[in-house]
Amino acid sequence: MEFVSPEGLRIDGRRPQELRALQCKFGVLSCCDGSALFQAGNTKVFAAVYGPRVADIRGQALHDRALIKCEYAHAAFSTGAARRRRGRSRKSTELAALVRGALEQTILVELLPRAQVEVCIQVLFADGGVTAACINAAMLAVADAGIPVRDMVAACGAGHLEAMPLLDLNHTEAATGGLEVCVALHPALDRVVLLQADAKASVDTLEAVTTLALQGCKAAAGAMREALLQHVRSLAARRGAI
Amino acid sequence: MSLAPQQALASPVENTVVGPGDSVLVLPEAGQVRVGAGLHADGGHLRTTRPGILRRTKAGKLWVQGRQIRYIPAAGDAVVGTVVERHSDAYNVDLGGPFAAVLPALAFEGATRRNRPNLTPGDLVYARVTAASRDADPEITCTDASGKGAGFGPLQEGLVLTCSSALVRQLLASPPPPVVAALGAALAFELAVGQNGRVWVGNADSSTVVLVANALANSERLSPGQAHLMVKKLLASVQA
Repeated sequence: MEFVSPEGLRIDGRRPQELRALQCKFGVLSCCDGSALFQAGNTKVFAAVYGPRVADIRGQALHDRALIKCEYAHAAFSTGAARRRRGRSRKSTELAALVRGALEQTILVELLPRAQVEVCIQVLFADGGVTAACINAAMLAVADAGIPVRDMVAACGAGHLEAMPLLDLNHTEAATGGLEVCVALHPALDRVVLLQADAKASVDTLEAVTTLALQGCKAAAGAMREALLQHVRSLAARRGAI
Repeated sequence: MSLAPQQALASPVENTVVGPGDSVLVLPEAGQVRVGAGLHADGGHLRTTRPGILRRTKAGKLWVQGRQIRYIPAAGDAVVGTVVERHSDAYNVDLGGPFAAVLPALAFEGATRRNRPNLTPGDLVYARVTAASRDADPEITCTDASGKGAGFGPLQEGLVLTCSSALVRQLLASPPPPVVAALGAALAFELAVGQNGRVWVGNADSSTVVLVANALANSERLSPGQAHLMVKKLLASVQA
């Protein structure tokens, strides 16, 4: 199968170093303290944040910082393959741990000792780049909830196909089993929060792909920040605060 | 769609929209910067921790005016809380924040060991936060600094509305927001606005309470004109 045509276009019509269209919506759920919908191309992820609140299980509360809990689920219709079983799988546990790790470094946990922040993620449509989309959706929901953070974390994936680094793989491209890297970045602090790869690769390849993913992170961060500021501006304008 | 590098600023730009992680000020070598909620110092920069509008108070304190549903206790705030537990010398009160607050049983106007209010779980109190330390549960009291009631105390009857910090700020603004002015011109009711996002509406007539609560809950994203129209419609529907 040909992943990059002679004209330099990928199967979904993008250039090798082009992100999919990003869309962010805030306050999409009313039951929680903050929520967001993040969409990258067809990939669509909901995130809901509850907290900071009293820890559900008192024994789990930490005396010097907030406890971050993360729950991941995907809708039965989110992937092409039939869902094998209900409830948690190894994949969902791993994804939840990745998102939790990124959030623990982003949220100012030391400001909220003994409290708990719970993030629930629901994937509505998985078309590649799910890890990055989950982190981005979680970040937007945390920002919507007004939980104090060091910086906005933004994540982006990149892969290596046909001897060429490709940004933001979709499902078809990711399904080849080649190298796929997911990077999360604090853009203002210029700090990498997460770097994950599932396949073996040479150092040169890894470096090229990681550099591309970092550029993707910065672009995604810009888009997310713009959407967030737009949301704040519209809320403020409606109540005449600005 | 590239992210421009953060501009280092000599002086912060007030009344602008900021996102989390933005550098609003390069901290000076010497001197004082007064910092309020939503900002923290990180590596020589003053950075925002949440999205909102950068504001400066009359006293020169910088803070970020955002919108949130959870309440983080701060000393001096007036809050509406629900009693959740009763102990021999104190009550535990839920403020809708990450921690339950402690209300000493004698922290009421004129309370003595023999004569003190008898609250049960589920009762409401309008109180003032006296201490909100990072390492201990917040403490509240139903008196002002001189021991007078000053409007604080148990709340009877009425209805409690949960709302965002943005709506609370609107309700506490002076002059009062158009929705409160319009309702107040037509109806008689009591309002206790807690900075923790709980608003108590009191009146002997339950239909008035429900009307006022609905009007307040719906008013957050309305312009003054729209708020007037909504109150007019609600009043017409009740009087018809």
